Amino acid sequence: MFAIDRNAWTNRWSRRHPLEKLTLALGMLALAVTLPPLTTGPLVLTVMAAAAILGAGVGVRDFALVLAVPAAFLLPSLALIALAVDLDDGLRVGLSAAAVRDAAEVGARSVAAMACLAFLVLTTPVTDVLTVLRRAGLPTAVIELMFLIYRLVFVFVERAVAARRAQAARLGYATRRQGVRSLGLLAAGLFQRALVQGRRMETGLAARGHIDDLRVLSPDWPAAPRAYAHIATVLCAVAAAGTGLDGLAA
Amino acid sequence: MTVPILDVRDLSYAYPGGIPALSGIGFAIGRGRKLAVLGANGSGKTTLLLHLNGTLRPTGGTVRLDGEPVGYDRRGLAAWRRRVGLVLQDPEDQLFAATVAQDVSFGPLNAGLTDAEARGRVDEALTAMGIAGLAGRPTHMLSFGQKRRAAIAGILAMRPDVLLLDEPTAGLDAAGLGQLLATLDGLHAAGTTLIASTHDVDLAYAWADDVAVLDGGRLLRHGGAEAVLADRALLAEARLPGPFVLDLWQALRAGGLVAPDARSPRSRAGLLSLIGAGHPLFGRTGE
Repeated sequence: MFAIDRNAWTNRWSRRHPLEKLTLALGMLALAVTLPPLTTGPLVLTVMAAAAILGAGVGVRDFALVLAVPAAFLLPSLALIALAVDLDDGLRVGLSAAAVRDAAEVGARSVAAMACLAFLVLTTPVTDVLTVLRRAGLPTAVIELMFLIYRLVFVFVERAVAARRAQAARLGYATRRQGVRSLGLLAAGLFQRALVQGRRMETGLAARGHIDDLRVLSPDWPAAPRAYAHIATVLCAVAAAGTGLDGLAA
Repeated sequence: MTVPILDVRDLSYAYPGGIPALSGIGFAIGRGRKLAVLGANGSGKTTLLLHLNGTLRPTGGTVRLDGEPVGYDRRGLAAWRRRVGLVLQDPEDQLFAATVAQDVSFGPLNAGLTDAEARGRVDEALTAMGIAGLAGRPTHMLSFGQKRRAAIAGILAMRPDVLLLDEPTAGLDAAGLGQLLATLDGLHAAGTTLIASTHDVDLAYAWADDVAVLDGGRLLRHGGAEAVLADRALLAEARLPGPFVLDLWQALRAGGLVAPDARSPRSRAGLLSLIGAGHPLFGRTGE
């Protein structure tokens, strides 16, 4: 999670308009879901990986890691799709060509879709996406809550890590038994601290005249109309290649 | 004398549950002064500061701004906080927005400025704190010193007449402290009244015009820094040491190394420059 956040804020495309990155990612996602998967899927994966790694400068390892986590859930499902279980004549487990093809299609589609999202989260700060959603008309209260949660997750995790280290320094995790006890105390303590922190933050906000909304300036992104032309070109090329190759194969 | 900018009269406060925190505090803060609220841990410094911008409402007594009792309704508090800014001790309690520039823009926008005006204020405040380069940086990717400066910038952007700083030097390294004091000097020169809580007597002696010494929720003494911090019995009662420079100066005086009527320098730098300049009084050591 922190690798994602670090990349999102520090990659070369971090300060590009989030709408550009959303258009590319969601456009590719739409292609991956609608066009023949066996040809389009690998293309989408290649383009998104290239955009993230070569374009935005995201580390290969980070990109692979973001794909690997959901892939761990995907693989067992694909195995179940590919396997045909027959109970008529005793228990028979086998592979049929159709089932394998189904599994391959689902797999290609899923990996391509995951690559689109991986590109988006690795290149775009969460708060940029929220700002776009705010402009799209999502209710202010929801957006503000999401902004605050985003900010406080980091404060919370930082404090949790510090508290855990402090416990460990006093042998809180020396044995499994103590570990369980320490973790319980940590959770209880963090809950209390979160309440206190919330109250203090209220004081800080009130000191700056907070009344109803948490209004702040939105970031300025440079407008790049040509970027959309490039994105459109890439989307068309992938769509054409995906359908064309599928036609050749058939 | 002109009307003090903040005037605290017979102020008492008990935390919910009846635990007394402040009792019978009364003092007036002159416009454009630098006041150090000095006290040991738990003496009531933070609680007092929280009364000076209306965060806490006294259980007894009043706080006056420009001679007028302040209102605790929405409008009164808003007007009050536009003029009196508060910087909390832990910047983590104050920074809530995703990036530095966004966080700093919060106060100005609440004060009703337009986006363009707020943007100007953000630039101004970030430049004043020397962190203009961090404008787009996410708040969770800052060092502690940077967070502290971002938190102060968030208040500066509101251009308050009075700046309340709760333990502003806590956790800062020497370089960070130097930068902070330089910034505060700039604000002071521009006419801002500064009130900082601290338990650092050396800092108070070097920096403050006035000192208010708290102990156990009571105000022991309020007055010019030089006079208050030379009061040994008072500092002992407040469980505070004397300023090191003053201790050293008094020892030099007791040893006949400086003239009995020579005024003590206020800071280490002041002391060193006296010695370095070959202060005639030091020449007598050789005799």
